Amino acid sequence: MLKKTSRFQLPQLSRMSVAYVLLAGGVMLMAGCAGVPPTEQIAVTKAAVAHANNAATTQFAPVELQSAKDKLARAEQAMEKEDYALASRLADEALVDARLAEAKSESAQAQKAAKDSQDASRVLREEINRKAQ
Amino acid sequence: MKAHTMKKNHLFALTLISVSVLAGCSTMPQSTTLDNARTDYNNAQANPQVVKLAPLQLKEAGEALDRANAAQVSREDAKVVDSLAYVAQQKIALTQEIAQRKSAELAVSNATAERNKLQLQARTAEADQAHQQAAMAELTAEQKTAEANLARQQAADARAAAAQDQASLAAMQAQMDELNAKKTPRGMVITLGDVLFDTNRAQLKSGGERNVQKLAEFLKRYPQRTVLIEGFTDSVGSDSSNQVLSEQRAQAVSMALTNMGVGRDRISTKGYGEAYAVAGNDTAAGRQLNRRVEIMLSDERGVIAPR
Repeated sequence: MLKKTSRFQLPQLSRMSVAYVLLAGGVMLMAGCAGVPPTEQIAVTKAAVAHANNAATTQFAPVELQSAKDKLARAEQAMEKEDYALASRLADEALVDARLAEAKSESAQAQKAAKDSQDASRVLREEINRKAQ
Repeated sequence: MKAHTMKKNHLFALTLISVSVLAGCSTMPQSTTLDNARTDYNNAQANPQVVKLAPLQLKEAGEALDRANAAQVSREDAKVVDSLAYVAQQKIALTQEIAQRKSAELAVSNATAERNKLQLQARTAEADQAHQQAAMAELTAEQKTAEANLARQQAADARAAAAQDQASLAAMQAQMDELNAKKTPRGMVITLGDVLFDTNRAQLKSGGERNVQKLAEFLKRYPQRTVLIEGFTDSVGSDSSNQVLSEQRAQAVSMALTNMGVGRDRISTKGYGEAYAVAGNDTAAGRQLNRRVEIMLSDERGVIAPR
């Protein structure tokens, strides 16, 4: 390497150095994007999607549940293609989708329960009023 | 040299790739997703329900948004920024859902508490009503007992009154007999003979006062009865003087009764002169019968039939 360098002229050497630096930078950047496979993240997301995949969520938050499932599938495909950056992003998105789906389903059920409970109160109140008359 | 040139070209290509990769990061793309996430976050922060009921999730959403903002500032790939912005947006939506769920759960527990309260009130009211009905029933029973007692009492009273009536009727009859009262079509008549008066005199003789005394006692005993005192004379003397005399005689008896405590309003008087003679005026005995005062006793209502 030293030998090689000695054979180049100074401006050439300088140009080469810039190129190396740039190359190194590009490789590092790509490495940053690719990195290690987000295996653990995928596992966490998989568990969350599985947990969210139930009858109530299917009924009350079908869009979010489907989105979570699709993104998880795409994340797994990206893993196979070793596009770890995409896999990581999709896993992140699938995870929040799954959590939102569950929250939405729970919220819808709670609101239904609230309505039922309030209806029951109203019926009781009316019944008591009728009796009182 | 050829190999060297090739190597040089290879390096150049790599450099180009590196530059292009860096250039890809160096543009500052506008992210619609991030803009939306910011708007959503501001809305969530302005929603008191979210702030109160999902503070932890709101903080996490804020952190996710910060990461997306930071990625945009450091000029990361648009896909990265969009993805982070998407995550932030979903986390913001999560805060809304959690706030709504908690609010609904609060509503359930409030409604349940209200129902419990209503049921308690209703039960209390029912118990009160039952109490009241029991009290009412008791009262009714007491009332019925009282009514029965009253009816018994009234029956007894009626029997007693009937017995008393019988007794008093008998007593009255006895007194009437004593007064020589006679039953006539007009009612009971007591005749006070001329033994009370001298001829041409209207003064009651002391012997006659005893008869008047009995009459006064009778009237005091039967306060609903009134009397009409009628005066008569014999045919001795002029009609006008006999008229005056008959009136004076009736007045004398009235005065005597008043003095003995009989109310003036219960006594009326009338003189008939020598009219309505009960015997002939041609004998002394007949004239004596005609010089008289008749006392008409009213019925129990104070009514006296006119002559």
